[in-house]
Amino acid sequence: MALKGLDIFKLTPKTNCKDCGNPTCMAFAMKVAQGAVALDKCPHMSDDVKAQLGDATAPPMKKIEVGSGDDKFTLGGETVLFRHDKTFVSKNLYAVAVCENGIDEKLPEILKVDYDRLGERMYVEFLYVMYRGDAAKFAETVQKAAAEGRGIILEVTDEEAAKAALAVAGDRVILSGANASNYAAFSKLATDAKAVLGVSGASLDELYDTVTALEKLGNKNLILDVAGETVKETFANAVQIRRAALKDNDRTFGYPSLVNLHKVAHGDAHLQTALAALFTLKYGSIIVMDGVSYAQALPLYGLRQNIYTDPQKPMKVEPGIYTLNGADENSVCVTTVDFALTYFVVSGELERSGVPLNLLISDAGGYSVLTAWAAGKLSANSIAKFFKEQEIESKIKSRTLVIPGKVAVLKGEIEEKLPGWTVVVAPNEAVELVKFFKEFVKA
Amino acid sequence: MAFKQVPQKFTAKINPLTIGEGADAITLGGENVLPFYSFDAAIDNAPKIGIEISDNGYAANIPGIAEFYAGAETLPEIAKKAAAAPGVDFLAISMEGAHPDNGDRPVDECAKLVSDIAAVVNIPIVIEGSRNVEKDAKLFEKLAEALQGKNVLFLSAREENYKSIAAAAGLAYSQKIGAESAVDINLAKQLNVLISQMGVKTDSVAMNLGSAAAGYGFEYVATTIDRVKSAALAQNDNMLQMPIVTPVASETWTVKESIVSEEDFPEWGSSEERGINMEIATAAACLAAGSNAVILRHPESVATVSKLIAALI
Amino acid sequence: MGLFDRVFRGSAEMYQKAEEELAKVIAELGEDAQMQMPDTAYFLSCIYAYLGKKVTKLSELRDALAEIKGKMTTNYRTTDVFSSGIGTAMAAEVIEATKYARTPTPYEGTVYHGHFSDAEVRELGVPLVTQDIPGFVVVIGPAPSTEEAVNLIKGYQTRGIFVFLIGGVIDQAVEAGLSMGFPVRVVPVGQEIWSVGHIISLVERAAMIFGAVQPGDWEAFNEYSMARIFAFVNAYKPVADIVVACGGGAIAMGFPVITNDTDDMWRVPKSLIIQEDTEDFIETSLEARDIKIKITNIDIPVAFSTAFEGEIIRKADMRVDINGARFDCFEWVRSQEAKDIEDHQIIVDGPDIADIEPGGSMSLGVIVDVAGKNMQPDFEPVFERKFHNFLNCIEGVMHTGQRDMIRIRISNTAFEAGFSIRHIGEVLYAKVKSEYDTVVDKCQVTLVTDKAKLKELRAEANKTYDKRDLRLRAMTDENVEVFYNCILCQSFSPAHVCIVTPERLGLCGAVSWLDAKATNELDPNGPCQVVTKKRVIDERVGAFEDVNEAVQKYSHGALQQVTLYSILEDPMTSCGCFECICGIEPISNGVSIVNREHTGVTPLGMTFSEMASMTGGGVQTPGFMGHGKHFIASKKFLKAEGGVARIVWMPKALKETVRERLNESAKELYGIDDFCDRIADEDSVTDDPEALLAFLTEKEHPVLAMEPLL
Repeated sequence: MALKGLDIFKLTPKTNCKDCGNPTCMAFAMKVAQGAVALDKCPHMSDDVKAQLGDATAPPMKKIEVGSGDDKFTLGGETVLFRHDKTFVSKNLYAVAVCENGIDEKLPEILKVDYDRLGERMYVEFLYVMYRGDAAKFAETVQKAAAEGRGIILEVTDEEAAKAALAVAGDRVILSGANASNYAAFSKLATDAKAVLGVSGASLDELYDTVTALEKLGNKNLILDVAGETVKETFANAVQIRRAALKDNDRTFGYPSLVNLHKVAHGDAHLQTALAALFTLKYGSIIVMDGVSYAQALPLYGLRQNIYTDPQKPMKVEPGIYTLNGADENSVCVTTVDFALTYFVVSGELERSGVPLNLLISDAGGYSVLTAWAAGKLSANSIAKFFKEQEIESKIKSRTLVIPGKVAVLKGEIEEKLPGWTVVVAPNEAVELVKFFKEFVKA
Repeated sequence: MAFKQVPQKFTAKINPLTIGEGADAITLGGENVLPFYSFDAAIDNAPKIGIEISDNGYAANIPGIAEFYAGAETLPEIAKKAAAAPGVDFLAISMEGAHPDNGDRPVDECAKLVSDIAAVVNIPIVIEGSRNVEKDAKLFEKLAEALQGKNVLFLSAREENYKSIAAAAGLAYSQKIGAESAVDINLAKQLNVLISQMGVKTDSVAMNLGSAAAGYGFEYVATTIDRVKSAALAQNDNMLQMPIVTPVASETWTVKESIVSEEDFPEWGSSEERGINMEIATAAACLAAGSNAVILRHPESVATVSKLIAALI
Repeated sequence: MGLFDRVFRGSAEMYQKAEEELAKVIAELGEDAQMQMPDTAYFLSCIYAYLGKKVTKLSELRDALAEIKGKMTTNYRTTDVFSSGIGTAMAAEVIEATKYARTPTPYEGTVYHGHFSDAEVRELGVPLVTQDIPGFVVVIGPAPSTEEAVNLIKGYQTRGIFVFLIGGVIDQAVEAGLSMGFPVRVVPVGQEIWSVGHIISLVERAAMIFGAVQPGDWEAFNEYSMARIFAFVNAYKPVADIVVACGGGAIAMGFPVITNDTDDMWRVPKSLIIQEDTEDFIETSLEARDIKIKITNIDIPVAFSTAFEGEIIRKADMRVDINGARFDCFEWVRSQEAKDIEDHQIIVDGPDIADIEPGGSMSLGVIVDVAGKNMQPDFEPVFERKFHNFLNCIEGVMHTGQRDMIRIRISNTAFEAGFSIRHIGEVLYAKVKSEYDTVVDKCQVTLVTDKAKLKELRAEANKTYDKRDLRLRAMTDENVEVFYNCILCQSFSPAHVCIVTPERLGLCGAVSWLDAKATNELDPNGPCQVVTKKRVIDERVGAFEDVNEAVQKYSHGALQQVTLYSILEDPMTSCGCFECICGIEPISNGVSIVNREHTGVTPLGMTFSEMASMTGGGVQTPGFMGHGKHFIASKKFLKAEGGVARIVWMPKALKETVRERLNESAKELYGIDDFCDRIADEDSVTDDPEALLAFLTEKEHPVLAMEPLL
């Protein structure tokens, strides 16, 4: 159980010196409890206290960083098994497997998928390069892969080949090759190269023992390859490892996981889509696939974005004018909130109506219509303010504004704040919008 | 020191719910572990897959579907083809054409259509509503009568019309009821309580907790299913122990990613591939969260999800 | 002669007739002749239900009749009346069955329906179970006149009640040319009284089909019909012994009998009701069987929809202005005895809109009288507060305020469409009856516009308001039996559960203990459930075992325990919709409270939204807690930590809202005057705890003398 803010506060100097950048020790303590600020930001706490708190505030699952600086990848650091218990912290990342001599044909396909969804860049974060016996080819492929600005995972158990590849892999690299027989040497390789070490084992017991041994060597910068012989075994491993760490407080397994679908579902792209979805929900940190086409990326990245949203911080879309179905300045205006789900559902229905419309999204704090209204984030004032800021009246000639049915109560007030506009109330539910606008156009 | 496994086997379990008759009958639910956690305890009944057609036939707008159903002219022929697709466990018939704004097919005509299907299909049948609560109330009463003895699951009993559906389908004709709520554990539970107060036994009820396509608020679906399963198993809440049936296709085949043409979005590639992947990913995510059955449209999705289930159980 | 004797005699009469008819048919067809009712899987279902016997041939029918005779006991106890009554019904079924032994269609070519098929039972059963058909009536007789018969039948039809006719009333319906049959819900069953057997057969089959009641379980059948089948009997005089005996059976099944016969008749409360005025049969019957009629449409000349909720009526468009700030106006719900009010009566007392000059003003007192067995005076304000929503949904009507500070504007367009004061009553009647159907049986609306009468009425209404306020103020957590939970906001905050007590309202500020109570009683499966408080763990912090169990249950296991009065020990969780947050300010050992509207920083160095992000989501955060504005002045606020004296900082606006009551509480608890003046606000201190301490010292704030919090 994580420490409460109040417990941390008791151990602060309580001087409100602001050296940590927070106005009070209480504010600092609360942020530490949330994991928003690191304990060492306070220069006045004794090392004893920090050590004492450090253990208690350390997450049961380690947060592993691949690389350093702004473009590093962060994995793990989870505290709960279910997102409703709090929130998931580090989204899973996707990798594509390439053979030591297969990169040239695959690379263009991999690079093609690179787009933005609600402010998040969607692309294949890692290339998973597999050593097949030719160290020079392997290094060459790794170098090519690294040049594309993606993280690199090296699947290699040959020490020399690993060493050569590490030299050209860049700084965002995972050396996935430690096992029961070579862990000491590979640990050194990884540590020297500042790489994260990937560990595998023939069974959970063997993996557990290897991790224990690595930790004894002082290497806690690990990621666990959970792949078994079959899909079933792989899933069992992924769940048991995460569950042991978070529910049963077994910190030996408190590391992110690597799920290799190339290994257990080779050649079946559709099955890989299904499995990637499964492991996105249940405890894959990096999911390795044979390839990620647009057709696979669209649902998988969308799913990941959903699952890794903070339940308390809803996804938002940018406020502004969205023209639909070829709308122009004379088209009717429709307004709703900037909550991403509302936007998607409403814009989808509006598009289906085929009616040209200007969809006006104002800043409503990312809440749904009723919540935003109840919180005062959606009001006649907020809409009027939005109209002024965006200079709607100079951009659009239509003077008809359709508002969500659930805030029918705002109609009169909006009409008062926006003289000259006719406010029309839409139905309560989005599914009724198509019919509503089809009839609206007729009338 | 070896890894100490701590299996998480619950004393409570999900109600087993059998639908259909005879050798082709299937059972949903019955497990006492989280989805696919067969390493904790054996799972007797693997999740099931339904293939969806409607009273209007098959969804001709879905690429590749017309080829699959080629040669099938009448609804019973279409149904037979659907039922024979590899991986299919049950046939789902959506009564979309009965919606007042979408053809308003009369109740008697609907009853005739489903009877004709039932006459040629042996696998269990699940009826989905028209999405109009008033119409469904009248419609299900007639369909329940027309499908007497077939042990059909009637999804889409909602807060507004559960009384009629529970009375007609659940009590008068001893069919199975699916309680439909909109991704909210408390509403789901309340509806189950209300249906059981009508006299329908809880082991005759399934839940449709609502659905969404991947990327479209799926976190609510996942979280609702997570919470329902956890309340059912860990809290032994017998008003949430019904198996979960999730219609997936109706959500995934309407989102932009599945429907925009390749001409409009050339870099996205084949729309059929996009639609199939969206359907597969969403279905897999539902099953991972805890659905005991999913309803799909594309035969390739059915085949793939069936492979997924086989690989995990 | 006593009622018992009449039942026993009628029962014997029915038996004798059955014996005769059975002997006749056995003589004709032989005792091995097949005996089955058409289109049913339930044999002779009265006999099957009550005796568990499957009759398939005449000899078995004879054996059954012998058993029936055994049920017709005459020991002058109530059970004998019931048993004989049911026996009479079964004997009636025997008589009718003899007809079907000869032909499956004995009533062919007549107006009579006779036996009901299983399909018909299901067709009627479904709407009966769902209460889409609120009930059915069996009318026996001829009515005093054909006209009256027609009025009665049509009266039931318009209320959605299914009508079965037996005897002379059928001739009257035929004479009047009334359309009859299953689809129009008026079915002429048969001429003789024994055709009642068909109706009882229908009831028993409904119990077997819809209630899974097992054949032979006598008691269970009566219990089922009593609880689930809303039927009753109207018997016109003269009521013969044999009809009285049938009535005994009806009563045993939970179906009251209403008659205008007074000869040799005895009143039995809720069961045998004498209503001499036959024109009142319908109302008397519905009341006797607790049948409530659903209101589906509102009879007004303008539209009614939530789309009009936000409509503003400007002065230029206004036909009339009703302004409680200038004249005597009020809205007042009163609980009444059922006998004192008439359902759906709408009285307008005084001038109407048409009598006022365009753009002028008028006064209006709205009195809504409600009656119902489950109605409680505590619901009155709950209804009243909803009037605002109800009236605002009328196209062309704008409503604000409540109690005697209401303001209503009615537009020219609405007036031209025919809207009058009466229609306000129609809307309130329809909404109150439909929204609160679980507690309101009858509703009557009086709209007083006569200025002369309003002054006095307003004063009276004010007395009620004062009394209610007083009651609310006098309610404490100790003097109520139970608390309630509220999980309305779990869709945002899955693990959060509010425990609502008289002294601690929901943290959204919108759900008081009375609201929660009303919500629970109006919607027993809804978001507010009873939480008992019998097992105290620690009075000081407000910890109860029952409360903890409730919290575990309704958070689906996410939360184990809460206290009601402490911010440090297992404080209540917060969703996201709290009005205020308070958090510990360690330097002063007090708490800062900040309301949602205040955007500035607090002496804790955090703003409302920063604190909210740490406190929300149903997670326990000792030292921080979300709450409603009105909780601030409560004597239970931070009771475990010493009470309201811990409050050291509040935004000015919030302070003004709670000033009066908070000062009162502080006076009562600590004997301090003008406590609020000692609390800092954004004018004196923003984010500097040292300045806060200086301020508190200067004002001699009581917190300085209190124990350290941490």
